[in-house]
Amino acid sequence: MNLTIDVTNKENIAYVVLSGEVDAFTAPKLKDALLPLTKEEGQTVEVDLQNVNYMDSTGLGVFISALKSTKEHNTDLKLVQMQERVYRLFKITGLTEIMNIDSTVQGGMQ
Amino acid sequence: MSTLKLDLENYKELLQEYIKTQDEQALYQAEQFSKQSMQQNISPEEIINVHIQSLQELYPEMPDYIQASMNFLLETMISYGLAYQEHQSLREKQLELKSEISVAANMQKTLLSTVKPDLEEVDIGALSVPAKQMNGDYHHFVQDGKGSLGIAVADVIGKGVPAALCMSMIKYSMDSYPEMRMDPSVILGSLNRVVERNVDASMFITMFYGLYNSNTHTFSYSSAGHEPGFYYYSDRDEFEEIDVPGLVLGVSSETSYTQYQKKVEKGDMIILLTDGVTECRQGDRFIEQEEILHVIKQYSHLPAQETVENVYKHFERLQDFHLRDDFTLIILKRNV
Amino acid sequence: MDFQSCVNIKKEWDIVGARQLGRDIARKIGFGTVDQARIATAISELARNIYLYAGTGKVCFEALEDMNQKGIRILAIDSGPGIKELSQVMEDGFSTSGGLGAGLPGVKRLMDDFDITSEEGKGTEITVIKWLR
Repeated sequence: MNLTIDVTNKENIAYVVLSGEVDAFTAPKLKDALLPLTKEEGQTVEVDLQNVNYMDSTGLGVFISALKSTKEHNTDLKLVQMQERVYRLFKITGLTEIMNIDSTVQGGMQ
Repeated sequence: MSTLKLDLENYKELLQEYIKTQDEQALYQAEQFSKQSMQQNISPEEIINVHIQSLQELYPEMPDYIQASMNFLLETMISYGLAYQEHQSLREKQLELKSEISVAANMQKTLLSTVKPDLEEVDIGALSVPAKQMNGDYHHFVQDGKGSLGIAVADVIGKGVPAALCMSMIKYSMDSYPEMRMDPSVILGSLNRVVERNVDASMFITMFYGLYNSNTHTFSYSSAGHEPGFYYYSDRDEFEEIDVPGLVLGVSSETSYTQYQKKVEKGDMIILLTDGVTECRQGDRFIEQEEILHVIKQYSHLPAQETVENVYKHFERLQDFHLRDDFTLIILKRNV
Repeated sequence: MDFQSCVNIKKEWDIVGARQLGRDIARKIGFGTVDQARIATAISELARNIYLYAGTGKVCFEALEDMNQKGIRILAIDSGPGIKELSQVMEDGFSTSGGLGAGLPGVKRLMDDFDITSEEGKGTEITVIKWLR
């Protein structure tokens, strides 16, 4: 399974639209795309996960390192339109408490 | 040199026979010749050379354009020959790596080994199977000699060697805690600081820590973002998810963990697991929580160890005997 | 070391020139078809490395003859960026040309002796020898 990453910039916001699976194979690609965006001071990185149907712990790791990077570089990370299965993973791991995650979840949970 | 000469004679005869008879027998022998050549590390251009020489000897009148075309083929095959030799050498290296990893896996087994305690009051079943050679799951039992049993179940992000290295670190930190201070919230808090200081930003560990007091039959527990286990109420014949909040280890040094407590009644079960259990896939479909509970229920009349083994066998078969993730399942059942 | 015949490598076409000259010398020394092809392939790799990574350089040839044996010595020399991790480029499976080149391990396999020195920022010098059997 593949992951496509689409980045568009508008003023101080970088919109990242993902589609596919974020797993051990695709995570490095996501990391390469996402981390540099979190290093441009003042920027908000908004990641749209509407079309991500599966994520494993390696994928979570990418978002954790992105979050750590936003704190170092004074930027913001926002995750929107998560599918239910992916949202569950963020919930279990306690990341919903420390990450800016849009509460409109695809699939009707919450 | 003499063996190659012999082969040339051999090849020439075979070729001659085949040209005469177009017989399958000769082709079969050509196959044997090809296999033997590979065993002796003979590269393709040498075989073509043998072919050219045979042709020259069999047909001294061979036209120049055939000769030239054969030389052309020989040149073309040189790079294939190199690629083949590289492949052979990489294969040897792979074998070397494999054996190194299996040595490391054995070391890990010894390092992380834990003895499943034999308690009169609680029947315990525990099973952990790695998807690859090295296990990124970890479970550990500690007894304080006064009737308390500590149980840790953890999962490192990723699989294989990096996960295993990380696990060894956790094991060492846990070994250094005094046995009297086994409060789950304290242990997770202190491990969180160890992990936060020592691992890469994208690395994290989930852990469930439980403490079973066999005098009072209370179970205290905390979770650091770990896959929720289940509690089985025998009086109601019902499962309940042990869903407690808590951030994974290694993300934020300021996190603290809340501790919860449950009174365990006779026949109740505590089921702890890793996501290798809940993320089992049948083809492209993830299995549902109900299915897991159904399977556990089906074998729960057996002694706990047999229960976990049968549950594992069930999901191993469901996934065509090919685990995608490390699989750890622990069941505690109050006996008396 | 005194090399009589050299080919300067500047354009891709020069790789062909180097192969041609090297093959002619190898044939005169008495190498058979297979070894000629191997020597030409090794020259290709060396010359292509110069063309791709250093821009310019040269490949030189020398016929060797002592009491016991005959052979050909090839020297590839450039003043390009140099190679930092020699052990890495000599490793199988490590290729900078997208996996299709035989790379330096391939050159080493094709020839009998192989020697390389490289200094970052100064250049690379590779000497290889094939003995006639």
